[in-house]
Formats: sequence, structure tokens, C-alpha cells
Amino acid sequence: MNAGGFAGLHPLVCFVYYAGVILLGLMLAHPVYQLASLALLTALLLLQRQGRPLARALPYYLLVGGLFAIVNPLLSHRGRHILFYLWDQPITLEAVLYGAMMMMTILAVLLMFVSYRVVMTTDKFMYLFSAVLPQTALHVWMTLRFIPLFARRFQQIELIQRSRGIDMRTGGPIRRLRNGAVLLRILMTWSLEDAMRTGDSMKARGYGTAKRTAFYPYRMDRRDRITLAILGLLLLLALAGWREGWGLLTLYPRMESLRLAAYERIHFAIFLLFVGMPILFEAKERYRWRSSRRSA
Amino acid sequence: MVRRSQALLIAAAILAIALAVASAVWDGHYLLLSAVAMTLAMTPLLVRFERRLLEPREIAMLAALAAVAALGRIAFAPLPSFKPTSFVVIVAALVFGGEAGFIVGAVAALASNLFLGQGPWTPWQMFAWGMVGATAGWLRHTRFMKSRIGLCLFGLAWGFLFGWIMNVWSLLSLPDAFGWELVAITYAQSFYFDLAHAAANVLFLGFFGLSWVRLLDRIRKKYGLLENRDGRR
Repeated sequence: MNAGGFAGLHPLVCFVYYAGVILLGLMLAHPVYQLASLALLTALLLLQRQGRPLARALPYYLLVGGLFAIVNPLLSHRGRHILFYLWDQPITLEAVLYGAMMMMTILAVLLMFVSYRVVMTTDKFMYLFSAVLPQTALHVWMTLRFIPLFARRFQQIELIQRSRGIDMRTGGPIRRLRNGAVLLRILMTWSLEDAMRTGDSMKARGYGTAKRTAFYPYRMDRRDRITLAILGLLLLLALAGWREGWGLLTLYPRMESLRLAAYERIHFAIFLLFVGMPILFEAKERYRWRSSRRSA
Repeated sequence: MVRRSQALLIAAAILAIALAVASAVWDGHYLLLSAVAMTLAMTPLLVRFERRLLEPREIAMLAALAAVAALGRIAFAPLPSFKPTSFVVIVAALVFGGEAGFIVGAVAALASNLFLGQGPWTPWQMFAWGMVGATAGWLRHTRFMKSRIGLCLFGLAWGFLFGWIMNVWSLLSLPDAFGWELVAITYAQSFYFDLAHAAANVLFLGFFGLSWVRLLDRIRKKYGLLENRDGRR
């Protein structure tokens, strides 16, 4: 496979990793864990050369997350440590902390999706999707193929209809809407008649006579199986620890100390290893690339 | 090979469900529970579609409908929320029924997000647009849905409902501050987007709803698509 690093693994392994990050991100609520996972995800994105897109999207992400951090202390007044009063409403340390933790959860999910979009390309996602829902997956594939086709078709229709004076760009809003709907209707009838021919051609070539097969360049090899087993084990251990109350900061009724207890540190290490797993693959790739250049 | 990954995925899904139910019972993880509940709500409809024996013509037609709906979303992307997507989904559901409406809506959301960018919002949008189609299909034989006024009211209601479904996750992520104020703030900030969506629905359905229904109905009769054969696997 061409894609190196973490993206070179089997799609199922990557999917389990991202599902696990979301699961742990939503379930564990401790500022130390959250800061660590944000740092690891940022490092992963930088290794995946996503620094520039990340920098562009970050203000928006911070705005979304920041909203949670601001709204929570304004609306929730639970907790014992009152920081100050705003419009006669007590602002408590606990509510501020809770809002900040929620903000970090949301940021972690959003950062994870930046990496997800790089690694889980459409064909990998569809590979997994078609294993569970084959007919729906075929439907999605055909839709995906139709979208660019119809977009080109729509431009042709626009060009031709403009010569008849049907144009979406001129006139008042109602006129534009009317003309837009005419264009959409032409696209619809043309495309539906065309879809009938697509269907006939599929039938002529034997669709439905046997189970549909497809070629995918993914194969579960030893490395994938081992990685999957390790990821699964780490995830289970992390969740078992969560059952013990590790990785959760108790805020109400009494805030506990931010410091990690003895066993919690082991749990923290397991969590770090899980979230940081792709970094190992990316770093190995980088190292190999550099050492191969040095020896050449 | 396929069978094994299938088994793995099903196992993963069951694990996720069990965990989410458990976490909600113990610790109030409403966000996780709501995501799982929504996936569970979609599952029977997807499985139903999966088990249905479809002619290749019918799959191609459903794909074309979903593509037109998705294209409406991508082509109108500069105008926030003012999109003909719900309109196409509703009209498709009125002609071809709730099951087809659900799948057209859900696939249009999924496919357009593969162009516009996936995110945690994808399953929610699939659910919301799928439900737009499913409800329109279930109500299609009532006198209400056959009148222009009824169609407009239906579109107006779904314009707001769609936004409200999408708001749920932001509400659930702050259980600490949950209360009337948070609800009011969340729904107030989404009001203009919902209004634009509802206005688009009302305008499209009011002006073109009935003529599009006639048009699709003619195609359905001409090619005998999705009649009540009820072939199942």
C-alpha cells in the first residue's frame, strides 16, 4: 500500500482507534487526561502534516469549545468555591472547571476528526460500511458517482437554459427561485431517465444473479492483527479502570485533588499509550525515511 | 474475510451499546447514550432496506434522487440553511414511500458529507434527514399531505425540527448547566438557521411540491418502480 505510517494499517484497525478515542474522550473526564490527549492529538496532526489546516480551523474550534466553557459557569452555580459574583450570580470554581473540561472534550473530538479525515479516506470508510450494509453501501457508491456527474450536467443545463432567459443569477428573489427550480427539475427528469439506463445496463451484466464482489486493496496481515489486539487490550484496560473511577475528576459535592492517585498513574499510562499509538507508527515512518536518506 | 470483519463490527457495535447504556445508568453520560440511541433508531430501517430485494433500476433511481438532494446541499453551500435538500427528500418520500424516503435522506446526508467534510454531526444529519423522508412517506396517503397548505406546514415544521434535532447534542454536552436558560440560549442561537431552512422548505414545497410529485409519480408508473412486490431476502 502506498500510504505509510498509521494510514498504512488495515481500515478496521484505524477505525477501532478512532472509535476508542471518541469513547474514552467522552467517558473520561479529568483535566490531566484531557490535556495529555489534546497534546498527543496535536502531535499526531503535525506528524501527519496537518499543521496548516489545523491552524486555519483552530479559531473556529476554539470558538465552539469556548462557548461551552463560558456558558457553563454562567448557568450552573453548583459547587462550594465561589470565585466572584456576576450580576448577583455566584461563579463557582467547579462550574468553571466543568466548562473547561467540556471544552477540552469537544476540542479533542474535533481534532480527532481532522486526523480521521486524513486516514479514513472515503474508500476505507466504504470498505467497512459495505461489510456491514452491502446494499446501502452500493447505494452510497452510486450516489457518490452521480454527484460530480450531475454537477457537470447542471452546468450544461444552466448554460443552455440561459439562452432561453431562464437564469438563476438575474431578477428578483422569487424569479431566481422559480428559475432555480426549473433547472433542478430538468436535472431530475434527465437524471432519472438516465438512471433507468444505468439500471438496465447493470441488469444486463448480471446484477443480482450472484453475491456482489468488489476489489479492495486491504488485507489483514500480522502487523494489523497484533496492533488490533494491543489496541483492543488497552481500550478494555482503560475502560476497566474507568469502572474503578480512575480518570474521572469528582467535582460535586466535593472537589477532589487534581493529582493522580497511585494506581491512576498506571491507568493514565495505558490511556497515553492508546491515544499515542498512531504517533509510534508515524514516528517510525519518519525515522526510516531519514535513515534511508542518510545511508544513500 | 467479509464475514469476519462483519462479525467484528457487530461485536464492536454491541460493545459500544452496552458501554453506553451502562455509562448512562451509572454516571449520566447522556451524550454517549443519545448517540447510541440514535444509531439504534436508524438500525431497523437500514436493516429493512438491506433485506429488500431491489431491481437495479430501483437502486439507480434511489441513488439519483439522493444525488440530486445532496447536490442541492453542495450547490447552495454559500447560502447557510437555504437548501432544496429537504424538499427533494420529502417529494421522493411522497411518491416512493417512507422506506425510500428514509434511505434517500440518510444517504444524501452521508454522501454530501463525504464532500463537505465528515464530523461528529454526520450520524445526526443522517438521522434527521432520514426522519424527514420517513415521516413524509408514512403520512403520504393522508388528505393533509395531498394539499398545498398541508405540504407547506409539514415543510415548516421539519425546518425547525431538523435544527432542534441537531441542537440536542449541544444541550446534552452540558448536563451540568441544563435548565430552561440553556435550552433558550441554544434554540435562540439556531433560530435564524432554522428559519432559513423552514422558509426554503415552504417556498419549494408551496411552489413546486405538487408538480414534482406528479412528475415523479409518472416516472414511477412508467417504469413500475418500487411497487408493492415486497420481495425480501
